[in-house]
Amino acid sequence: MLSALVAGLATGAVFAATALAYNVMFSTSKVLSVTTGHLPMLGGVAGAYVIAGLGLPWWLGLLAAMGTGALFGLLTELVAIRRVLARSDEHLWLLSTLALATMVQQAVGLWWGTEPRPFPRLIPQDFSAGLADQKFWLPIALAVAMAGGLELFYSRTMAGKLFVAMSEDAFAARARGIPTDRIRVASYALAGALGGLAGFAAGQLTFAYFALGLTLTLNGFIALAVGGLGSNVGALIGGFALGLLNALASYWFGGEYQQTIAVGLLMVVLLVKPEGLLGSKQVRPV
Amino acid sequence: MFHLSRLPRKLAASLALACIATLAQANDVIRIGWLSSLTGPLSSAAQAENQGVQLAVAEINAAGGINGRKLELLTRDTAGDPTKAVNLAQQLAFSEKVHFIIGPVNSGEGLGATPVIARAGVPNLVIGALEELTDPVKYPRAFRLINTNRQWISTANNYALKTLKRSRIALIGDTTGYGTASAKTATEMLEAAGVKPVYTVLVDPNKTDLTDELAKARAAGADVIMPWSAATGLVGRLLNARGDMGWNVPVVGHTALMAPQIRKLLNKPEYWENVVAAGYASTTFGADGKLPPATAALMEKVRSRIAPGGGEIELLFWWVAMGYDCVKVIEHAVKAAGGTDPAAIQKALENTRELRGVFANYSWSPTDRNGFPDGDMVPNIANTLRDGAFKLAR
Repeated sequence: MLSALVAGLATGAVFAATALAYNVMFSTSKVLSVTTGHLPMLGGVAGAYVIAGLGLPWWLGLLAAMGTGALFGLLTELVAIRRVLARSDEHLWLLSTLALATMVQQAVGLWWGTEPRPFPRLIPQDFSAGLADQKFWLPIALAVAMAGGLELFYSRTMAGKLFVAMSEDAFAARARGIPTDRIRVASYALAGALGGLAGFAAGQLTFAYFALGLTLTLNGFIALAVGGLGSNVGALIGGFALGLLNALASYWFGGEYQQTIAVGLLMVVLLVKPEGLLGSKQVRPV
Repeated sequence: MFHLSRLPRKLAASLALACIATLAQANDVIRIGWLSSLTGPLSSAAQAENQGVQLAVAEINAAGGINGRKLELLTRDTAGDPTKAVNLAQQLAFSEKVHFIIGPVNSGEGLGATPVIARAGVPNLVIGALEELTDPVKYPRAFRLINTNRQWISTANNYALKTLKRSRIALIGDTTGYGTASAKTATEMLEAAGVKPVYTVLVDPNKTDLTDELAKARAAGADVIMPWSAATGLVGRLLNARGDMGWNVPVVGHTALMAPQIRKLLNKPEYWENVVAAGYASTTFGADGKLPPATAALMEKVRSRIAPGGGEIELLFWWVAMGYDCVKVIEHAVKAAGGTDPAAIQKALENTRELRGVFANYSWSPTDRNGFPDGDMVPNIANTLRDGAFKLAR
């Protein structure tokens, strides 16, 4: 039972980190990109390739994971977001980001292979460590640090405050002279780097696997919707709740009910509290 | 009135027509559709099978074709996607008008594509293991070369019950269609043998840790773990959880247990000890350390293509052998039927007995479309992969 809880928390941490990446991109573009789950996938694959494939030290693997994620974030903004937002208010970004996500997954599958590959041990530790194994606590620690870091970034730095300003009213921000296009580009690069970092930290848990992206896109979105769109603490709570629920559903009822219960949670929250646990209500004065 | 002076002219015309017909048939290529998941999940098997298919086509064409007719291979990559498999099956059958279709590779794809191919009346060589893919009434021109899922399960059950003499079995399936159906079938077959599994569970193929499932199996008193999943990631995690727990219980089950990728996913190489999977006599070393002659001969033919530098073969060779046999079965059917008429091909295959292949010796009948014999299946020791083949588990 305890191992189910720990494994659930660790898996939930990956969902939470994905939800945080969603939030960063959403804050500046109001887009929920389907490519979000592919950021950790790319981070895991890049890290495994640099450390295990090229035999380079772990910190170079970390840089590669974050760099690959950031580059893919930039590519997403350039190819799938910028022109779509400039030309249409409709939700065409859903199609453009889905297309890009599919393309990158296929490309990684062709290059990396379609079977999961191992992610190297980052810290010397025996495999008999049980629940203290780094594969569990690395993603948990990272998700908490990411949420805390983002809160500090938004509240203590000028760049973060620009993100918040854009999030609240992009037109007003632009009217005040904020370079909203550049802020959006920066947010996609930041989300990419954070996503890549999440994939690197969780690599031992998930393996370096090309098909991980869509699973994380879906579960990260559920975590975000449950926690509340735009709230970093909400994303963290939503991710951990989803991971724990998955693990406990699997523990008590079997894996065949896992996804049903997860999506059921989403529906219940959306029915009872559509803005999510910590999301703010959108009130439009008339 | 018949005029004698016209006879030579008529005879010449008839002869000319006969020659044209013969030439036309010689130029009329035999078109083989090959539905192969060369990319996407589970592509390893398809890529290996593709080597065998291509080699056999090249060999037959180099020898002048079948009855003078060359083979044309139309390969379509389904990417492991059932929807694509159905669309490509339709394209091959109705637009390309192929004479045969090999595949699709995965059972999930086959569930959608096989009825489409059957509707087109095209002879179909089935290489998916799920029982539902063959039916002499619904799919009269679908003939299976690979074993059925029940044969895999039966081999594993026999090894656990008769060789290991253990009966406290924990069944672990994954939540895919294949895993769920296999766990159900395995339960039924064990119960038919008088054994009720002490623990049964289905797990998500992407589940990150299986410690709980194994702890529950141990608490239930299991003395054999039987996983039914084609997901190597899940199988790797299962073996890691068993190893990390220090529980040396035998693991007996699906062929994924001996996939070469498993070795890389294990925390320690010794976690692969005491693992047995359902395998094939054609790719099992005998007591003399040698493979059956047909397998050894095919290996040497294909080695330079699949093992760069002519070194050791690292993929599972049975896939190559089965791909090779698919085309050889087509050759047999066309020769026996005297052409590519679908009804004649069906009859020829229905009357095929003990056709010697590399992967197996095949027999079909009007009421049985499963050509793979039980006797060609054996249990293999999972961590003994050498040159594409395995040691027998005794």
